[in-house]
Amino acid sequence: MPGEIREIKKRIKSIKSTRKITRAMEMVAAAKMRKAINNVLSTRPYAMMAWDILRRLSKFYHHHPHPLLEEREEIKRVGLILITSNRGLSGSFNSNVINLAADYIAFHKEKIEIEADLVLMGRKGAEAMVKLGHTVVAEFDKVDVTTRIHEVRPLARLIIDEYLKGTYDKISIIYTDFISTILQRPRVKQLLPISGEDPYLGHIKGEEEIKMEVYEEKDLNNNNNNNNKDIYGGYLFEPSAQEVLDDLLPRLIEIQIYQAVLESDASEHSARMVAMKNATDAAGEMIYDLTLSYNQARQSAITQEIAEIAAAKTALE
Amino acid sequence: MPEEEKIKFSIITPERKVFEDVVDSVSLPTKNGEITILPHHIPLISTIIPGEVKIRKGEEEIPLVVAGGFVEVKGSSEVIVLADAAERVEEIDIERAEQARRRAEQLMREKAYDKVTFTEASAALQRALARLKVASKYRRHTYIKGSGVVKDEE
Repeated sequence: MPGEIREIKKRIKSIKSTRKITRAMEMVAAAKMRKAINNVLSTRPYAMMAWDILRRLSKFYHHHPHPLLEEREEIKRVGLILITSNRGLSGSFNSNVINLAADYIAFHKEKIEIEADLVLMGRKGAEAMVKLGHTVVAEFDKVDVTTRIHEVRPLARLIIDEYLKGTYDKISIIYTDFISTILQRPRVKQLLPISGEDPYLGHIKGEEEIKMEVYEEKDLNNNNNNNNKDIYGGYLFEPSAQEVLDDLLPRLIEIQIYQAVLESDASEHSARMVAMKNATDAAGEMIYDLTLSYNQARQSAITQEIAEIAAAKTALE
Repeated sequence: MPEEEKIKFSIITPERKVFEDVVDSVSLPTKNGEITILPHHIPLISTIIPGEVKIRKGEEEIPLVVAGGFVEVKGSSEVIVLADAAERVEEIDIERAEQARRRAEQLMREKAYDKVTFTEASAALQRALARLKVASKYRRHTYIKGSGVVKDEE
């Protein structure tokens, strides 16, 4: 039937143009992904070392008290940092982190009477969280591919200030961990207080065991410096523990946030690339199927026409 | 055991691993002044200021420039520098450092009333000066970018 044939033709055309778009998006995502993966991989050793130091320091909290290392007895308010993307079309990337965030908040609400406030990065998370009725304290713009650490500095500063002021007793960051191009996993990481015990903690790659070097006090007594008041928990601090920790801790926390943003970036672009690749493939398959039915319809139309002509001819003879 | 008398030294920046090797000693610019770390140093954490890092390995001396950061000396003769930025001498972009110096100086003159900008600019100036100082110390000739001329350092 000619009407049916025209219909199929129209559909094939529209799918073809969709495929062009998804293919272009796949290419763009692939280019961004390469950049983002490069960033994330080159920062990992640094972030891992920084986290190492943080964990070791937290072990010796009693030796060198610092508000950022202190574990608070009662946790009333939790601050959450949620990192999502600005744009969709990236498969389940955004919904996965957002669900995890919602679960995390629900889990905490059940156990203790707590309030959770959110600090967001990325527009998608903002939309979802407002819809779910959670308090959003701050929202930061997110660029597509983060490259400089300055870009997360305002966020880090806000979080640390609010924590020190006592607005929050615990701060966690929710982001998507980049494992490989086809595998990303959303995760929650507790940033503050820095605690060495939390099994959730540990570096992004988490799996490797971090060996704890505990330096015994008596080892240090053999040293000439044993009357230096800045030796705590085996570490000598120069110029002083207070000064070094004041510099070091915020910086290291900033790095953790930076790393989380980079992981999310790499995950987002990978997820989008894979989603777009699947869409392109699906469009290709659909075009194949439709072409097949188009040809069948065309052929049967021709056959029918011939049959009609033949029939008419026989009738005339 | 000769292996024991060496230091495992690495400099890591957020962008890359700048240096990683087994060396004899390391001199670092810290807040309290320059320190030299030899094997079996006690565990230490200190703040690094912009300046020159000297690594000695046998007869060889490897100079680097750092733009601030932290150093952690572990008990096992392992030294890790977490630097904001670090370069080998041959990687220093003198022209860029010179530009950064001029920019920072200008900012400091114009924005002297703005405490935050002033502090940031003076930190930038320190970094630029550290780079220029190290570069001029180790490079007798400078390749001026773009002009194709090899000139003597001033």
